[in-house]
Amino acid sequence: MITEERLKILTESAKYDVSCSSSGSARKNEGGMGNGYVAGCCHSFTPDGRCISLLKILLSNDCIYNCKYCPNRLDADVPRATATPEEICELTIDFYKRNYIEGLFLSSAVCKNPDYTMERLLLTVKKLRLEYNFHGYIHLKGIPKADPLLMKEAGRYADRMSYNIELPSEKSLKLLAPQKSKESLLLPMKTLAMQTAQFREEKKKGLIKGHFLPAGQTTQMIIGASPEADGQILRLTQALYQKNGLRRVYYSSYVPIVHDSLLPDTAVGQLREHRLYQADWLLRFYGFSVEELLSENENLATEFDPKCAWALKNMQLFPVEINRAPLEMLLRVPGIGSKNAYKIMEARKYTKLSFEDLVKMRIALKRARHFITCNGKFFGEKNEYSVRGLLAAAETGENAKQLDLFSILSSPQNAMIALSGQL
Amino acid sequence: MVYIFDGTKLGFLTAFLLAYEDGNALLTSHAVQLPLGESFISVTTDSDKAKRVERRLLTFDTDALHALDRLLRSGMENHEQIAFRYFKKLATEKRPIDKNFADPDVFAAVECMKKVGHEIHKMHGFVRFMELENGALYAPISPDNDICDLLLPHFRARLPEYPFVIHDVTRKKAAVYDGKNAFVAPLGTADVLISADEEGWQKLWKNYYKAVNIPSRERLKQMRGYMPVRYWKFLPEKQETPNSFE
Ligand code: SF4
Repeated sequence: MITEERLKILTESAKYDVSCSSSGSARKNEGGMGNGYVAGCCHSFTPDGRCISLLKILLSNDCIYNCKYCPNRLDADVPRATATPEEICELTIDFYKRNYIEGLFLSSAVCKNPDYTMERLLLTVKKLRLEYNFHGYIHLKGIPKADPLLMKEAGRYADRMSYNIELPSEKSLKLLAPQKSKESLLLPMKTLAMQTAQFREEKKKGLIKGHFLPAGQTTQMIIGASPEADGQILRLTQALYQKNGLRRVYYSSYVPIVHDSLLPDTAVGQLREHRLYQADWLLRFYGFSVEELLSENENLATEFDPKCAWALKNMQLFPVEINRAPLEMLLRVPGIGSKNAYKIMEARKYTKLSFEDLVKMRIALKRARHFITCNGKFFGEKNEYSVRGLLAAAETGENAKQLDLFSILSSPQNAMIALSGQL
Repeated sequence: MVYIFDGTKLGFLTAFLLAYEDGNALLTSHAVQLPLGESFISVTTDSDKAKRVERRLLTFDTDALHALDRLLRSGMENHEQIAFRYFKKLATEKRPIDKNFADPDVFAAVECMKKVGHEIHKMHGFVRFMELENGALYAPISPDNDICDLLLPHFRARLPEYPFVIHDVTRKKAAVYDGKNAFVAPLGTADVLISADEEGWQKLWKNYYKAVNIPSRERLKQMRGYMPVRYWKFLPEKQETPNSFE
C-alpha cells in the first residue's frame, strides 16, 4: 500500500488537470476486473464542485524541466515523490473494486528524460492491463518528445491519451515553457491520430485485434497566462477538432502562484473560462463555426453567453416559428439547449405548440421568447435595445453569485495555482 | 373513490381496470389519509384480468410495461396515481404518447420515470463496497426509488469474479450476486465482518478525496447539487474522522 504522504504529494501535483472524464470507451470485461462505461460515470464530488471519476495521480513529480508556471519545475522547492508501477496498480484495483473510481488518469513530470518517463508510464499501464487484468478506464498523459513507438504501444492499452498544449501560441510557449514548442506538442497528437487511423484500417481487414485509444485524445490550454485573444484560442480549438480529431479541448484559467516577471500577477476570472466552454459547445454540438462567433483578435462577450451574442448580431434571422423551424435553427435560439430542441421537435408532432405548452414543458423562455413565435404569436420584446438589456440582466442574475466567488478567487491570499502541474 | 392495491404490477393493472371509468379515481398502495367523505376499495389482485389489461396496453405501446415498471419503482408519493393517469391517457389515445411532452399527465410520468433512471445512473457511481473477510463485497444503500435489483447487471458485468451484495437497508432487501447467479432476497440487518485491509483502503480513499480538492475554489452548492446530502450516509469520504488532525 502506498503511504499517505506520497499519495498526497502525487495527487496534489496532479489535481490541476481539469480533465476527469471517463466517457467514450465501451471496453468489455474479459475476465478480471472492470469495463468501460460509454457515458462516463462520476463517483464522488469534492467541495470545489468537481467530479471524481478517475484516480488522478502522477507517477512522479520530480521534473527536469523548468516551465515557468509550474509548481513542480526543477527550480521549485517542493517535496518530491515517486510511486512504483505496482503501487499505482494496487491503488487502482483496490479503489475500483470498492467502486470509488471508474479508472485511472496517470501522468508524470519528466524524470531523467522523456523516453524514460514514457517507458515507466507504459510499464504501469501494461502491468495493469496484463498482470492485474484490469479493463476499466485508463487515461494516459503523453510525454512530448518521447519515442513514437512508445506512444503507439501506449495507445493499445489506454482508452484515452492527452498531450496538453498548455499555451495557445508558439511565442508564449517559447517565453514560458522554453523546453517545449508548439511542434513538440502538436506532432504527437498528429502521430496518434495517424496511428489510430492505421489501427482501424488494419482491424477492419482483420489483421489486428484489440483497441487503440477508443476514447480518443484530449488536450488542455491555460487561459490568461499569455496574451492570446479568445478568437485565436477558439480557432486553434476548431482546428484541433477538425484536423486532429480531438474529442475535447479543456480550458484552465490562470491563477498566479509562481511569481515570475514574465507571468501576469492577476488571476483570470472563471467567467472567461466559462464563456470559452460555452463557445466550445457551440462548435461541437450546435453546428457553429468559430468564424460565425468572433474574429481572431476579439474576445467573447462577458455580458451575454456566446449564442446570445451571435443572435444579437443576426437579428434578421429571428424570430423563428417554434412549430416549423428545422432542428438546426432551433439549436440556434438563445436559451434553447439540445435537450429542449429535441423535446420541441417531438412534442410538435402531437399538437401545435403554444407559449403555454412550452411553459408546461418547463422550457426556459427568459431568453428564448425574444427569438421565437408560437403559432405566429410573438411574446418577446420588439425593441432590440431592450432585448439586449433584458438578456444582460438575465445573465447578471444567474452569475451574480458566481461573480462574487470569482472575486474571492482572484484575491492574492487565496490564489492557488490553477494550472496543470504536469505535462 | 380511492383504490388501494398491493403495490405490485398485477395489482396495479387490476385496480386500473376497476378505476378506469371512475373520473375521481385515486390509486395508491400506501396507507393514505382519506379525503373527507371519500370511500375506498381494497383491490384484490386478479392476475387473469391484469394480464388481459397488460396485453391490451402493449398493443398501444410496446414500451408500456417498461414504463409501468419504472413508475411503480418510483419513490414519489403519488407515483401510482401518476401511472394511472398516464395509462388512462394511453388507453384513450390508443397510440404511444410518451413524447407528447406538452400534455401534463405525460409530462408528469416522463419526469417521474426520468428520476428513477437518473438515480440508477447516480448509484452506479455512489455505491460503495466494502471488502468482507471472505473476499465478498458488501454495499449498503438507501435510494429514493426501489432500484437495487436494477443495479445488478452493471456491477455483475464489471466485477464478474467478486460475489457481492447491494443492500437496500430501507426496503430491507438485497440484490445478490454469488459469483454465478444474481437474485433478489429479503434482508433486514446484515452482520458483516470486514477484511483486515478494508479500513486502510478507506482511509487512503479519504486522503485522496481531501488531496484532490482545490480548497480555494470552494463551490459547496454545486457539490451538493450533484451529490445530494441524503446519499452521503454510505460514502466513506463524507464521514468525518474524529481523531484526524486534518
Ligand atoms: S509542466 Fe510538466 S514538464 Fe513543465 S515543469 Fe511542470 S511537470 Fe515539468
